[in-house]
Amino acid sequence: MASSLENLETQLEMFIENVRQIHIIVSDFQPQSQSVLNQKLQSLVHGLQEVDKLKSQVQDVHVPLEVFDYIDQGRNPQLYTKDCIEKALAKNEQVKGKIDAYRKFKANMLLELSRTFPNELSKYRALRGDE
Amino acid sequence: MMGDQFRKVEPYSPKSSPRGARSPVVSRQDSSGTLKTTILLGKNPSIVPSGPFYLMKEPPVESELTGATNLMAYYGLEHSYSKFSGKKLKEQLSSFLPTLPGVIDSPGQQDNSSLRSVIEKPPIGGKELLPLTNVQLDGFRLHPGPLPEQYRYTSTVPIKKHKNKHKKHKHKEGGLPSQETTITDTSSDTHEKKHKKQKRHDEDKERKKRKKEKKRKKQKHSPEHSGGLTPGQHSS
Repeated sequence: MASSLENLETQLEMFIENVRQIHIIVSDFQPQSQSVLNQKLQSLVHGLQEVDKLKSQVQDVHVPLEVFDYIDQGRNPQLYTKDCIEKALAKNEQVKGKIDAYRKFKANMLLELSRTFPNELSKYRALRGDE
Repeated sequence: MMGDQFRKVEPYSPKSSPRGARSPVVSRQDSSGTLKTTILLGKNPSIVPSGPFYLMKEPPVESELTGATNLMAYYGLEHSYSKFSGKKLKEQLSSFLPTLPGVIDSPGQQDNSSLRSVIEKPPIGGKELLPLTNVQLDGFRLHPGPLPEQYRYTSTVPIKKHKNKHKKHKHKEGGLPSQETTITDTSSDTHEKKHKKQKRHDEDKERKKRKKEKKRKKQKHSPEHSGGLTPGQHSS
């Protein structure tokens, strides 16, 4: 998986570099650079072919759509990861707090019930089988 | 008039409720388990509970993984967490993709380069990509000369910035220090030196102040102090 992603990354980088070079050639065009431009255009098509070939290798990569919003706004997509991790951690802590609170509540409840209704609770426990 | 009002209210009575003609107070068969009872008729009718009462509902099966466990550790994401929470990430996209040419920090909607637009309006695909023929290449025959102003853009600043940083990193790893890094290093050094100089200057000032204060105190306590009274003056 990592290698296929790396391959794609390299291909895309090469493609971008090719486009950048075309931009330089085109920005102040000289008649003698027509053949170079033609070569570059062919390599552009070749680059697209290579990227297309790698398509099948990254089919199982799922990208959350929210990341695109970050990128579209010119923000670092790692911030999305950071936000997700922070949110997950906060939620984890919240749920842990709730579970702990319920556990304490159950223990206190059983304690108080055993004080107030000792017989009933012993029956209950016997039925439950957790005596 | 009043009767009409009551008639209007009637449709909302429990009789015609969507639940049927059942009173809302009447308990329904709930999910907490059934309450089995035996009703004895006869001379002394009685209701005897013959099954477990509702508290005996089976508790939900406890799953192995709950929010009580540290999920970050469970999934081995502690490293990622410390990586992202420890350092302050740079906001710009260019800091994530330092090698990318062009201005990439501006919103994608401005120049129609947003990824959203690719999803919303997917490009035509499925066709085989073939190299351009000579006839097709003729379409790319350009006129000599520079591009019009609006199509020209220079955006090498962010790349330079990151190249520097990269070099710094290499330097740390043990590579040969580049000129640029040495320049930046010296600049930071001079900055530090300036700070130190300032600090020294401030400390000297404070020392001088303290000395002055000590002198004043001494003068106050000493009999020769001009402000204090001499024995002769005292007597008069």
